[in-house]
Amino acid sequence: MDYSIDAKDHEATVRLSGRLTFNDHAKLRALIREMSQNHARRQVLDLSSLEFVDSAGIGMLLIAREELVGQEKSLVLRQPVGQVKRVLSVAQLGKLISIEE
Amino acid sequence: MFFNRRDSSHGGSPHPVVKSSAFKTDEADAPGRAVPTAAARVDAAAVAHETLINWLGFADIQRRTMEILRSELDRTSVLVENSTLDLSARFRDLAESARNQASQVEHIIIMARSVEIDGDKVPIDHLVTSMQDAISGMIDNIVTLSMKAMNMVYLLDDVQKDVEDLEKCISDIDSINRQTNFLALNATIEASRAGEAGRTFAVVAQEVRHLSRTTSALADRMRAKVMAVVKGVRDGHDILRMIANTDMSPQMLAKERVDKTMESLVVQTNHFQDVLEGAAASSGEMSAHISRMVTGMQFQDLTKQRLEHVGDSMSIISAGLEELVTRTRAVLPTDSPAPMPQEWLDHLLGRFTLSEMRQRFVRHLLLEGTALDDHGALDATAGLDQGAEGDIELF
Repeated sequence: MDYSIDAKDHEATVRLSGRLTFNDHAKLRALIREMSQNHARRQVLDLSSLEFVDSAGIGMLLIAREELVGQEKSLVLRQPVGQVKRVLSVAQLGKLISIEE
Repeated sequence: MFFNRRDSSHGGSPHPVVKSSAFKTDEADAPGRAVPTAAARVDAAAVAHETLINWLGFADIQRRTMEILRSELDRTSVLVENSTLDLSARFRDLAESARNQASQVEHIIIMARSVEIDGDKVPIDHLVTSMQDAISGMIDNIVTLSMKAMNMVYLLDDVQKDVEDLEKCISDIDSINRQTNFLALNATIEASRAGEAGRTFAVVAQEVRHLSRTTSALADRMRAKVMAVVKGVRDGHDILRMIANTDMSPQMLAKERVDKTMESLVVQTNHFQDVLEGAAASSGEMSAHISRMVTGMQFQDLTKQRLEHVGDSMSIISAGLEELVTRTRAVLPTDSPAPMPQEWLDHLLGRFTLSEMRQRFVRHLLLEGTALDDHGALDATAGLDQGAEGDIELF
């Protein structure tokens, strides 16, 4: 998995690409730290280029949410596609994290 | 056959055969209205006599034909009545079967709506919902466990870093200890050079070296323990990584398949139910139709009454004819045998295409008034041995 951050005043957009799996846990932790450190209140994960997410990836997304909520920031998942969209839907993640189509 | 004789010379018949021309206006009546001579009057009397004799034969056959037809009417009425009763009974059976079928189908409909689980009837749609809920609960657990496992992984990542720091601290203690030991050794050497003045200092230096060795031993024990903790944490971390690395997303996505299967199941069950309800309605309609048909069978009562009226009328006509025959016979000479209207009889018989009816007719004509008639030869079953009643012969 790779990511790039576009941080603005009110909103930071992180674009994820490739496959988000357990192997990316260190990288994702670094990402969470970056999201915690920038000042934007609204943190958007753009998933339109993410091809695959495993159950560990879902767990990491929830950890990111927990971390950001603790800092009174909001996390938004934007435009999931394919397998990622299906897994998010089946896991009913929309109940915990807002998902923008 | 009996009545194919056309030859009046054939002996033994009580009825001389006459031609049908005898019934027409004879040439004997033709010659105008001139004043009859005595010979003409004798001729006229002879013609009248012959006409009456012919009429008697014809009337006799007609009367008997009327009686036969009357009995055929009765026979037909009974046949219609029996057949109608039989048909009604069969139709009632059919209606009963249709009703049974409808109730069985309704039973199936009730059964199809639910399944029995541990003695409880659970409607299919409830079953589907509860199974979907169970799977959703399972997926929730997977998601929660995944999150906790990742939390644990991150925690152990941190613990590993802390343990590495701890190892470094122990190394630092070792390093300090070596320096202390070295300083104590130097102090001892310096104390021995100082001689008696340094004796006390030498004791202190010796104590410091002793302390240093004890510290070193403690550091060794600490390192051994820390190494054990490090190994435990690393092993635990490995196991946890293995657990967290087990991807459960395919199991989560199985819910999609289960949902689709359940939807199909519900759709199919509803479809079956619709079809079965249609079948139950059809059976009910069938039963109602059949009941109406049974009601329709009551035409037989009316038919029977009408046939009885017709038969009674024929009996009255027959009786009238017989009375007329008796009165006519009384004015004629007793030795005048009435001829049989053979051609008319042949014509009549030609109309009877049912052989058993024709046989009954012939038997009746032949035997009436004889001793055989008195002994039941003309009973209703006459002719039945020739074939089943009601079979239509195609000729």
